[in-house]
Amino acid sequence: MVSPPEIRRAVVIEDDPDIRGLLVRVLAKQGFDVTEAAAGLPGVEEVRRVQPDLVTLDLNLPDIDGLEVCKLLREFSDAFIVMLTARADELDKLTGLDNGADEYISKPFSPRELQSRINALFRRRPSPAADSANRSELERATEVQQSLLPKEDIRVDGYDVAGVFRPSRSVGGDFYDWYQTPEGLHLTFADAMGKGMGAALIAATVRAVMRSTGRRQDLDGAFASASKAIATDLDSSNSFVTLFHARLDAASGTVSYVDAGHGLALHVRSGGTAERLPSAGPPVGAWAGSQWPQSTLELAPGDSLVVVSDGVLDVFDSVEDFTEAVRSAAQGQDSAHAASSAIMALAPAETAEDDVTVVVVRRLPEQAAA
Amino acid sequence: MEFSYEVKDSYAEVKADGRLNMVSAPKLREFVTDVIAGGSNRIVVNLENTAFMDSSGLGALIGCLKAARQAGGDLRIAAVQPQVKMVLQLTSMDKVLTSYTSAEEAFSND
Repeated sequence: MVSPPEIRRAVVIEDDPDIRGLLVRVLAKQGFDVTEAAAGLPGVEEVRRVQPDLVTLDLNLPDIDGLEVCKLLREFSDAFIVMLTARADELDKLTGLDNGADEYISKPFSPRELQSRINALFRRRPSPAADSANRSELERATEVQQSLLPKEDIRVDGYDVAGVFRPSRSVGGDFYDWYQTPEGLHLTFADAMGKGMGAALIAATVRAVMRSTGRRQDLDGAFASASKAIATDLDSSNSFVTLFHARLDAASGTVSYVDAGHGLALHVRSGGTAERLPSAGPPVGAWAGSQWPQSTLELAPGDSLVVVSDGVLDVFDSVEDFTEAVRSAAQGQDSAHAASSAIMALAPAETAEDDVTVVVVRRLPEQAAA
Repeated sequence: MEFSYEVKDSYAEVKADGRLNMVSAPKLREFVTDVIAGGSNRIVVNLENTAFMDSSGLGALIGCLKAARQAGGDLRIAAVQPQVKMVLQLTSMDKVLTSYTSAEEAFSND
């Protein structure tokens, strides 16, 4: 998903009302959210309040002089400071001093010159304020993502169910969710396009929508209405989500599932073979009018349903190599958790760029189930 | 990632060389939108030198396809490399984004 353009803030500190008005207009045109102050001390307070990315500062102010203001600002702000002065001779003196300003412009200035100097500043390095905002966004996105995972283990008679999740540094849109039903369990496995807060929020929406359709008996109908609700949400963000949703009937071992653009679920048989389940249609939100017919498979005693995120696929050259590696990692493990961990280990943490998520639903062999 | 384009007789060919990921995806979308705005609504994206595409890259191709159709034209892809082909197949998007072996072939039958 494309995150909304970041809002940059600016404070204009200038006593002349006409010049102040001009500066505000020029900066607003450049996409800044602008506030203003007519003197030095109110300006310092304004900067403290809005924590801007940019400050324009007149050198000659009615209360304290611009250099003093600059010094005060530097005690708590790392915004870019552009100093304006009416006296060209002052300019030479100022630029030679290390007084905390980032740029100097002499009056009269052309709006175009001001714009290009400011653009150059932001090109040189991202503003420190924006940098720390991004960091905390990443932290918030991580929290959202972690909150989506099921809190409890799930116990279904005759089955062993486990999931593991390893977030990447940049926070992707992976999550899985499961809950018990009278018949067995429902499992949702999804990956929202992109990274960061946008992807995490889409994932949260998908989880809520899928949970809300859990009570509907017919899988096709439930999935159709869920995907419609999700697509409406996705439409405005030009994003999509790959989604695998399965329902297990524990007594018979029948798994009914719908795969929207995921394509990385496997039926691993006790005999030592594995079959990848192809997706039935595009990801939800990718293409209007898509349909996703459901399929079924039978989990025999000793068989597993394994669902893996594309973070694991990325380390293999082909889907065939991937399928074989997952099969062999899952084979012979004595629990679903051991199998999920072994599959996760296929994507070494040092090199994985994406989240890695693995869910294993294993039907216990007959002697163990008895 | 590097973009270039060339207007041919019946279509415009866009080349996207490099990795089509979260960083380059919005740029591809912008580039193709500009080409469409310039008057070409039949676009071939030549992926001969696109070695890698992630979900954001796929999103950009879908966005470009929508834009081309919206303008009354179409967008087709050509010379798709193995990793990109794999992503298209897994996501079933190969049914929506038609791929051709070469850019010349993409609009040769209409």
